Amino acid sequence: MGVSEFSIPFRYKTNKANPVVWLLSHTLHHWAVFLAALLGAVGNAALASIPAIQFGIVFTNLTSGAPDKNVFIQAALVITFSQVLRGLFQLMRNLAFEVTAQRIERDVRDEFYISLLGKSMTFHSLQSVGDLMARATNDIREVNFLYSPGINMVFGSINFLFVPPIIAWQIHPALLLTPLLFILTYFIAVTAYLKKLRPITDKVRSSFGLMNSRLAEAIDGVETVKAAAQEENEIALFRRNIRAYRDASVEQGDIEARFLPLLLLALAMGFGLLHALVLFQQGTIPLGDVIKYFSALALLNFPTNSSIHSYSQISLGVASARRLLSIMNTENNLDKNDAGRAEPLRGEVRFTNLSFSYNTHNTALQNINFVVKPGQTVAIVGQTGSGKTTLVRLINRTYDPSEGSVQIDGCDLRDWRLDTLRSQISIIEQDIFLFSTSIADNIAFSKPGATRAEVEAAARKAQAHAFITALPEAYDTIIGERGVTLSGGQRQRIALARAFLTDPKILILDDSTSAIDSQTEDEIQRAIKAASEGRTTFIITHRLSQIRWADLIIVMRRGTISDIGTHTELMQSSASYRNIFTES
Amino acid sequence: MGFSAGLASESYDRQYSNKTLLGRIWAYAKPERKRILVILFAVLLHGGVGALPPVIVAKVLDEGVAGIPDHQVFYLLAAVIIVLELLGYLLYYINHRLLARVIADINRSLSTDAFAASMRQDMAFHDVFSSGKIVSRITTDTRDFSTLITLTMDVANNLVQSVVTSIILLTAEWHLALLFFLTVPAFILFVSLYRNLARRVSRQGMRAMANVNATIKETISGIAIAKNFRQEERIYDEFKRSNILSYRTNVKRGMVLSTVFPITRMLGALATAMLVYFGAISVTQGVITAGAWYLFILSTDRFLQPILSITSYWTQVQTGLSAAERILALIDAEHTVIQTGGYNPENYRGRIDFNHLTFRYANGYTVLNDFSLHIREGENIAIVGHTGAGKTSIARLIARFYEFQSGELLIDGKDIRSYDLHALRQHMGLVTQVPFLFEGTVEENIRFARPEITREEILALASQIGGGEWLDTFANGLDTRVGERGAQISMGQRQLVALMRVLAQNPSVFILDEATASIDPFTEKQIQTALNLILNQSTSVLIAHRLSTVQSADRIIVLRDGDIIEEGTHSQLLKQGGHYSELYNTYFRHQSLDYAEHAGG
Repeated sequence: MGVSEFSIPFRYKTNKANPVVWLLSHTLHHWAVFLAALLGAVGNAALASIPAIQFGIVFTNLTSGAPDKNVFIQAALVITFSQVLRGLFQLMRNLAFEVTAQRIERDVRDEFYISLLGKSMTFHSLQSVGDLMARATNDIREVNFLYSPGINMVFGSINFLFVPPIIAWQIHPALLLTPLLFILTYFIAVTAYLKKLRPITDKVRSSFGLMNSRLAEAIDGVETVKAAAQEENEIALFRRNIRAYRDASVEQGDIEARFLPLLLLALAMGFGLLHALVLFQQGTIPLGDVIKYFSALALLNFPTNSSIHSYSQISLGVASARRLLSIMNTENNLDKNDAGRAEPLRGEVRFTNLSFSYNTHNTALQNINFVVKPGQTVAIVGQTGSGKTTLVRLINRTYDPSEGSVQIDGCDLRDWRLDTLRSQISIIEQDIFLFSTSIADNIAFSKPGATRAEVEAAARKAQAHAFITALPEAYDTIIGERGVTLSGGQRQRIALARAFLTDPKILILDDSTSAIDSQTEDEIQRAIKAASEGRTTFIITHRLSQIRWADLIIVMRRGTISDIGTHTELMQSSASYRNIFTES
Repeated sequence: MGFSAGLASESYDRQYSNKTLLGRIWAYAKPERKRILVILFAVLLHGGVGALPPVIVAKVLDEGVAGIPDHQVFYLLAAVIIVLELLGYLLYYINHRLLARVIADINRSLSTDAFAASMRQDMAFHDVFSSGKIVSRITTDTRDFSTLITLTMDVANNLVQSVVTSIILLTAEWHLALLFFLTVPAFILFVSLYRNLARRVSRQGMRAMANVNATIKETISGIAIAKNFRQEERIYDEFKRSNILSYRTNVKRGMVLSTVFPITRMLGALATAMLVYFGAISVTQGVITAGAWYLFILSTDRFLQPILSITSYWTQVQTGLSAAERILALIDAEHTVIQTGGYNPENYRGRIDFNHLTFRYANGYTVLNDFSLHIREGENIAIVGHTGAGKTSIARLIARFYEFQSGELLIDGKDIRSYDLHALRQHMGLVTQVPFLFEGTVEENIRFARPEITREEILALASQIGGGEWLDTFANGLDTRVGERGAQISMGQRQLVALMRVLAQNPSVFILDEATASIDPFTEKQIQTALNLILNQSTSVLIAHRLSTVQSADRIIVLRDGDIIEEGTHSQLLKQGGHYSELYNTYFRHQSLDYAEHAGG
């Protein structure tokens, strides 16, 4: 597993070397159910041959010249019981595969989630949440489908391939020729088919994706399209996109039309019958055996017809497992460092000759130097992409610098215990995530077990009490329910209340929230001012008033600090800074 | 009820009579009629060919029973079987290829029509109906409809096979055949009972799954915040609960769905056993030959399989037809904005007059009543007022997004209804509150309204804003990709690009619905510069949210409940101390430098 920020062991060990091995180790954990599934499949296929044999017996008896009613009754009973039993085997196979599939879905998701919890903040801030969600739902569902119907159908039907050779062997060894040749060519043909199909299905999916996303975009932006009088151009573009999708679908249809096993089956049925008849004519086998043999060959129908769909299901499932593993096997670069320094922070922050890059070819921050004294408020300003967010993320050790260092209270971050740092540094992001629980629970999230009085006190300090009590059920209002949605400014104040509860020594605030009216602005200002008292505060802000009154202003430009100082200093030294404080 | 029962319906949905619906569907199928005819022919042939091999095998057996025949008869019959099987494969091949084309082409023309209809539909329509649902009609519903085509062909094939098999069985021995047919109702009964159960379990399952998916999604989005507060354990417990719930729901659903085939298998076995016994008895009584007996046995699957698929067909037909109905409803939805002429002058001066105009929304809510406003050529007006005062309506009436009920709206002294709408809009530049960009590069987005503008011209325009320095904030300048809906660049950058788009378009009338989102102060300055450039070259209507925008207007219109109650310049109005100064204190005060100077302290 390597190092991790948070670790709970998954219930059993799995081998994550490659998708197939990984799925196998999950399967082995549920060996009993899986075995039941396999048994059911084998039993089902084995009993499938019985009617064929019985048909032969009855036919032989009928043509023997002395038909015996008892033979018919016996055959009818054998067929009934064997096939009811076979139905039960099939039921066992289906149910056991279903349970295996669902259990593996559950366990894979559990393992995946535990792995996500153990990943660093770096990982989570770089990885898109939408993508992780898609993997945790759709991809894991594909893994489920890999077992049922995927393996269920493939394993279930492949068993049928081996019934005709067994019956053929019993009748006459020469009759093995057709079924064995069929099995051989069947596997070759299916492999070739899948190999050919894969790039085309990819093409179908990607062309559909392209068409769909542009279509959704055009309809969302219909006002812009109309205003620019570009409707006809958009329609022409849609025509092109759907043409590409149409062509890909037709190409897929053409490949499916050439599904060779169907042809092989046709030939096998014909030649098999001919072969048996020739043996009968030579007097080698009785006519009843011709019946037995022909009925047995008919069993090949099942693996041939079901394979069109189920093989693709398996290949999709393996592809999804690969996508899951690629996330799970991502190395963590940070560890908990439980042995590190653990004491209350004072809140002095020092950046020394720091450079940072997310990847090798792009430097996000370069040559950053500054010192912040405990309790100071720092405003960070600059255009989008100038490195403001990256800068503050280095403070709670979301990332480690590529060069240089960040020190808190004179000690390098890498020497602190991670838990100590994170519990005393709070980050309030621009997009504030609230859980769909009550407002009180959302505020108390940072401090489980906080009393209602504590929650209310925190909300009051964050200027949130007034709007919370105006909600239908005040602190017990469930967010998202019955249309309860909160504005950006309200969410921000709930997040601030969270911070009041934990009382961090360093507060980092991405305050790009806009206030539409002046009263809300006044409240936000008051809340942030209250929050910054007694702690070191970094504010990424667009608000002139916060910039104006900060103890230190850092102006970022393309990953470097272009200006740093107090308002008075910058008004003198920086033209661009002066420009924003001038009436246009 | 109708076909759309149980699915969310929209007010533009309509119920087509069966005749109309089929007629409309036929219109789309008509260009494909040659292919469809060939497919139908192939299907009929395939059904017939599929029913023949058992007959031949039975024939062969009877020959065999009669004594060892001439081997040429055997070769001939086996050859006939091989030929029939090959013919079956060939028919499958032709069928599948043609069907793939028919489906893809019908799908394409339906989607294209639906998309074109929604593009040409009025804004009033798009205001009411969510884009997600429209998209799903264009993609999902069209696919559901094409599934109907595949199914119909499948069922036709099965039906033919079953009918041919029945005729063969009836001619072979009608008593036994009738006995055999008796099993059919049992099958139909079982399948329909099962279908109800499966549908109920499925529906419950879907609903439970949607809830579980929502929780799983939430616990994933919550990871970052949980890490921030070191609450991983807690969120894990929450995740685990929903994961286990998901497991239980799915197992229950899977259990029901996996019983159907084993049970039909058992029923089928009973029918076979009966045939084996009664058939053999008939053979001993000399009613049928041994070959005919085997013919019955071989035909069981060929007869019962089609029955199973036909029984389940009807529900799917309903799904397919209601999908068709939803697509057609989208295509047929009526427009409200209607032009009376195609006036298309060379130049627009940019004068706008509202004369005693009344405007109501479709829900009957009156926004403007006896409204008059005269905007001079080249004038820049800012409209201010509380939410719901009618600011946006004025802007959107000028863009001709909505139809008004009475009075006049004149552009350069001529009724707006008499203009060629397409040409009129080409002379109007509009920036929406949330500036909308399309996936593509910055350059492509700037060029959106005027595709023919060159890169040099764009660069020349860009350099007018702070010497073009703003382009440096993009990773690859003009070639930077903006992402879907412009998501990969910041809100400020999106506004700049949207303004650049209007600069490139060089319209006679400029309409700005200003964004309320906050922008970093450096970008804000650049936006202001771009805005001033546009204001100098066109008549402008600004729905202002920024103090600086209001201040740059020639005239401020103060709107309350659809009426103009004050107008003048910023300083004039502020001095009056009326509604404007109230608005100023509500919306603009905190944007002033004065506020910044005194807020902290």
